[in-house]
Amino acid sequence: MRILAIDTALPAVSACVLDLGAADPIAIETAPMERGHAEELLPLVERVVAAAGGGFASIGRVAVTVGPGSFTGIRIGLAAGQAIALAVKAPIVGVSTLAALAAPYVLVPFDGVVAAAIDARHGQVYVTAYGPDGRTLLSPRRVGAHEALRALGSGPLRLIGSGAPLLAEEARLAGLEAEVASRAPAPDIAYVARLGLVADPATAPARPLYLKAPDAKPSEQRPLQDAPAEA
Amino acid sequence: MRVLGIETTCDETAVAVVASRIGGDGGDILSNEVMSQIAQHAAYGGVVPEIAARAHIDVLERLIVRALDAAGTDIAGVDAIAASAGPGLIGGILVGLTAAKALALAADKPFIAVNHLEAHALTGRLTERLDFPYLALLVSGGHTQLVAVLGVGDYKRLGSTVDDAAGEAFDKVAKMLGLPYPGGPHIERLAEEGDPARFDFPRPMFGREGADFSLSGLKTAVRQEIARIGTPTERDVADLAASFQAAIVDVLVDRVRSGLRIFTQSGGQPNGLVIGGGVGANGAIRRALTRLCAETGLRFVSPPPGLCSDNGAVVAWAGLERFARGMTDDLTFAARPRWPLDANAGSLHHGKA
Repeated sequence: MRILAIDTALPAVSACVLDLGAADPIAIETAPMERGHAEELLPLVERVVAAAGGGFASIGRVAVTVGPGSFTGIRIGLAAGQAIALAVKAPIVGVSTLAALAAPYVLVPFDGVVAAAIDARHGQVYVTAYGPDGRTLLSPRRVGAHEALRALGSGPLRLIGSGAPLLAEEARLAGLEAEVASRAPAPDIAYVARLGLVADPATAPARPLYLKAPDAKPSEQRPLQDAPAEA
Repeated sequence: MRVLGIETTCDETAVAVVASRIGGDGGDILSNEVMSQIAQHAAYGGVVPEIAARAHIDVLERLIVRALDAAGTDIAGVDAIAASAGPGLIGGILVGLTAAKALALAADKPFIAVNHLEAHALTGRLTERLDFPYLALLVSGGHTQLVAVLGVGDYKRLGSTVDDAAGEAFDKVAKMLGLPYPGGPHIERLAEEGDPARFDFPRPMFGREGADFSLSGLKTAVRQEIARIGTPTERDVADLAASFQAAIVDVLVDRVRSGLRIFTQSGGQPNGLVIGGGVGANGAIRRALTRLCAETGLRFVSPPPGLCSDNGAVVAWAGLERFARGMTDDLTFAARPRWPLDANAGSLHHGKA
């Protein structure tokens, strides 16, 4: 099976094509960027699929990052991934950005906790953590850096992602042993593809993982006393 | 030829498949799937952009499948993919635009970026055979303008609102009257029971040269009247709604009349008047424009209300019109939250037009 992986959730636009059983993608491209994901993505996907050979007809599955990350970025990747999957009649799976960030480190022997963290601004992080056996210790959530550290236990910690320095600083203040293994702002797209290949479409739906409600307050409607509620 | 059209610029997610008729005689709507988000925004008294964008991505894929199924085809069976690329809310536009580009890329079909206003302006040619040039009145919650439609991609804005859009005025007055969002249909229903002559609300711009609109003064006058009454009775509310709607109708008719004058003075003879946009579903406005057209001998093309409010069919149709003329776009086409129909008009009037 051949999978097309797409990520636009964080400050990069990435895509790759990976064949089941192959060690590395047959075609891969990543463009770091803060904005402009929507304009960059499809020409980049077009180049990657062309470089892989076989065209879109050869794609047997699509993987897309579902977040956490930029709300708009999440939707751009999902809209593209869903539409491509629909056009080539292939299943689509969702991959968490945190899982993809942590993936290169999860199975490396380490007697401690591996945590992936994305800087969510205002002192907050999107975080998830794995134990020495690769088991999830902390499901993805959005919390303050201090609270995140408390949830991670007594260390030692191996930290990955744009939020890693924030957690490392909290660890230092708490006197915990912690190392920043990577500050990568976005996951390696090859790992999105690898996780996508082993994911079950039934349990890994391509649905947004925002981890934050929209900022909106209900309006203060003061109906007139005698106005009919509904005409 | 068949085109799939996607619409996500505001609070309706919509997908449709439209086929052109042989000989350029309008189009056939093979499917027209619309999912409104009104319920999700109602508590906020207006459209919340992030809620809208989330709702679009949640349903768009399903709607595309449904629209293709209902049209009895699949993606291979359409000739091109079109999407509204603006104007509107950027978060929503990106969902529909990206999906359309991705469908086009993966299915190897041409992609066409459509201006949402253009889609409404061209609707008269979908439902009936209407030749260029003609006059279009575009009235919705975000837009109020009169456009000379000279050809596909060739539009001249004759006038637009300098403050509130017509739909915005309806919504704001509805809110003052304690009516739910969106206010238009509620005001229209109440107005049927009210006395349109009881309150003498201003008709801003009435009789003025040019074809611009101004509606915020009218809204203010309604607010002052409510304050003067204090606690309006059911009767008062109905009369306020009726008097307000009567003022809007008078203003629109006067501005259309003035727009027609400008149209003919600039050497053209319009083949008709088309109405588009959500406010175009208002019965009182449609009746008044029907009367005006009957008086002036102009053909009035009023698409069914479902094609006035946001929908995918008019986007697919605009896509067909462009595609038939070889106008396609590439995958780098950027969303345009502001996109005046008339390239020469610039963004006058702080973008409300």
